[in-house]
Amino acid sequence: MTTATATLAPKAFKSELKPIWCPGCGDFGVVQALYRALSAIGRPAHEIAFISGIGCSSRIPGYTTAYGFNSVHGRALPIAQGLKMARPELLVLAAGGDGDGFSIGGGHLPHAVRRNQNITYIVMDNQIYGLTKGQLSPTSPKGLKTVTSVDGSLENPVNPLMYVLTYGAPFVAQGTPADLPGLVEIIEAAIRYPGFAFVNVQSPCVTFGEPEQQIKTQKATMESLEGMGHDPGNLIEALDLSRAYGTTLHTGLFYRSPEPPPTFDSLVHERQQRMMADALPRERILEQFIQR
Amino acid sequence: MSPTKGFDFAGLGLKDALDLAVLIEEEARDRYLEFADQMELHHTPEAEGFFGYMARNEEKHRVALASRRTELFGDAPGTANRTMLFDVEAPDYDEVRAFMTPRQALESALRAEEKAHAFFAAALLEVRDASVRVLFEELCAEELEHQALVQGQIEQLPPDSGLDPADFADDPVGQ
Repeated sequence: MTTATATLAPKAFKSELKPIWCPGCGDFGVVQALYRALSAIGRPAHEIAFISGIGCSSRIPGYTTAYGFNSVHGRALPIAQGLKMARPELLVLAAGGDGDGFSIGGGHLPHAVRRNQNITYIVMDNQIYGLTKGQLSPTSPKGLKTVTSVDGSLENPVNPLMYVLTYGAPFVAQGTPADLPGLVEIIEAAIRYPGFAFVNVQSPCVTFGEPEQQIKTQKATMESLEGMGHDPGNLIEALDLSRAYGTTLHTGLFYRSPEPPPTFDSLVHERQQRMMADALPRERILEQFIQR
Repeated sequence: MSPTKGFDFAGLGLKDALDLAVLIEEEARDRYLEFADQMELHHTPEAEGFFGYMARNEEKHRVALASRRTELFGDAPGTANRTMLFDVEAPDYDEVRAFMTPRQALESALRAEEKAHAFFAAALLEVRDASVRVLFEELCAEELEHQALVQGQIEQLPPDSGLDPADFADDPVGQ
């Protein structure tokens, strides 16, 4: 059962717990955007479950009044999917960082995409492992010098946008706390989308991040996809634009499938209904095994 | 990028203008309270004290504006709400750092006051209602006064040590 109330203020989703993120962290903007998006959605906190992995950003469920589970490294998606199967009526959100989602949890992402459950997955991508004090992450740019790459990284970064688009995600967007109104819109649209919605947020690490990744630089350099005239129904164009990940900060909706494919939960439900309709009544079950 | 959403300044009446002004002060108060908490958590007591002081000031302004709204319009419902504001007078989240100096804290407040002044000055170009114009001119002037007050406090501060707050961060470790 769901309740839609348009009167829930953003504050209704803010918990008493005070964030311990470094002052200046991009994640403060992300959680603010989330409060506002949830307020616009209008479902009360007790109908929302928020699952995260491990990392700075994975603390985010605790800063909301939703039911939360700060789970195991890289395992936000499996837990969120299990929860959505068991309690399809809940609004299920998953969140984590780029290391959590694309490295240790990288194996789960394509399966979550192809399964297409009605879950919104928000990744706070800061291109670094911040909680453990600045090691290379899967999205760190090539050449980045860190304590684990003193002469610069030799690897190309993972491109999360292209990754999920090619696996067939029906909703793919990118935002930044440098554009709070835009981020609110993206998260709200993702939650409203009936299927797996992926939101990559370029949320800078103020302590170990690069100067050009910080909010002031993002404000000056970001490019709105809507402003460029991008049609979010055009998958080929979305894929082409996603190639600029790491060089140009595109914000907004890359792709939204114009015809949302059926979700895994709805297919399971449909199959359950069909099997129940064809099922023998309880008193006749033994007929399948005993010849009279 | 506009720091508000859904306001038509050309058609704005006094009730909604007062509500907007109240919400701007409330948003700034809440942000300064958050900053004070962050500074407390990250062992930066001087900045914590200053942000707490700013939060109390914003609250004073909010109460004064809210009283005017009640006197003029009672409990009549308005259309403005917090989801329509995006850091009008509230300093941006990336303005603060662990171990920031009192000077840096004051400078962040100064930028917030400048931002608020720019907002009201830009809105005044669109406002048509005479009473809203008077209110926004008054608020614009107040923001200038606040800027002067903060600037005065900055000038009284001793010079910073020249150390970067980042120098106080723990050294990164390999794993």
